[in-house]
Amino acid sequence: MPSIASRSAAFEDLALPLFPSLYNHAFWLVRNEAEAEDLVQEALTKALRAFDSFKPSTNFKAWIFRILRNTFFTSRTGIAASRTIFIEDHPDVLHTHDAGPSPEETLIRLDNQAAIVTALEQLQPLLREVLLLCDVEEMKYKDIALILDVPIGTVMSRISRARQALRELIQPEFRGNQ
Amino acid sequence: MTQTSQHPGPDTINAYIDGELPADERQYAQQHLLACHSCTLRVLSATQLKAATARAGHCFAPTPEVVARLTARLHAEPVAVARVHSFRPVAWGSLAAAVLLAVSLLGWNQLRHSNTLAAELLDQHLAVLSDSAAPQVISSDRHTVKPWFQGRLPFSFNLPEPDALPPDTILKGADLTYFDGQPAALLIFTVHKHQVTVLLSHQPNDLVLTGIPKARAGFTIHSATASHLHIIAVSDVNPAELDLLITALARAQG
Repeated sequence: MPSIASRSAAFEDLALPLFPSLYNHAFWLVRNEAEAEDLVQEALTKALRAFDSFKPSTNFKAWIFRILRNTFFTSRTGIAASRTIFIEDHPDVLHTHDAGPSPEETLIRLDNQAAIVTALEQLQPLLREVLLLCDVEEMKYKDIALILDVPIGTVMSRISRARQALRELIQPEFRGNQ
Repeated sequence: MTQTSQHPGPDTINAYIDGELPADERQYAQQHLLACHSCTLRVLSATQLKAATARAGHCFAPTPEVVARLTARLHAEPVAVARVHSFRPVAWGSLAAAVLLAVSLLGWNQLRHSNTLAAELLDQHLAVLSDSAAPQVISSDRHTVKPWFQGRLPFSFNLPEPDALPPDTILKGADLTYFDGQPAALLIFTVHKHQVTVLLSHQPNDLVLTGIPKARAGFTIHSATASHLHIIAVSDVNPAELDLLITALARAQG
């Protein structure tokens, strides 16, 4: 059985490179520097204590992001956020139509990054979360499914909805700048 | 999607750009895209949105002080459990680790920034390839293209004479763009039948160019600096021919 010191060192080897990603994701969740730091700190503490349960053959990043997310949802801010309705629980309204802007209209001008940040801020937290994990953290669907504790099909539908919503939020900004 | 004639749905398009489609479905999708202009545009649009989201979504970085505090607390955690270390070695160890981490984070941030810039370059190139993104200036005359940038850019640059360009290389047009948050000249060339996007930017930090990947998604990205001007080219043309074009542009800056 590894000593506490070697276990801690192994944990740090895996966790330290993820500090920026964890902090960025935490900030998107709580929107406050001090709370983001506290959230990461608490998640790291929990993860270290539970490190024995981590299977080395699995994805550490997905494992610790799941802990971060669960830590958030047990916080006061997180409990309020979790009251958001999961629309994929209502498959009859989930069917995605391509009724939004045409692809030509949505070709993104790269100098509109501020508009994209604003649109991300306006997205429903559950939709923003899946985009952050997929596009920013470059995680695979199966790892996102593990973090969110949902089936892969739900991850796919959430990503579709999130991108469609983001396009619709961005489009007026772009039209306004044209 | 079971037939290449059927347009892929949003989930398939998303899975395609996320690299999540099984091999057979990916092959079907690729075959369909070869023949369907509207779906190709949808994929391009989705790819650009994904890249833009990636850039915009990674905007909150911890300060070195935050990283140092998190590291120090992490180090303190097993001490509280095991109670085997004195405070002083832990404190020194935490400090050393924090310094090491800060240094490594600088390198990590540089790498991340370089990857972001490479994605930005590729987006610019893909946008140029799209029919719907015609450049502001469509001209092969350098005496038309260069003056167009007067008053639009905070710097000037030279374009080589047509006979100073590599064989079968033609200036097609230009546009004003932004690269790494700075205004830049976007020049469009063709080399044989390959399109080349060249960005000219004037940035004091030479580090911008170091670390940018030489290739991304099958496209070559080469760069040079001449007279404080950064010249960056993206194309699927032969890398040696891309270098010839960059050399000609660098030589023209005198």
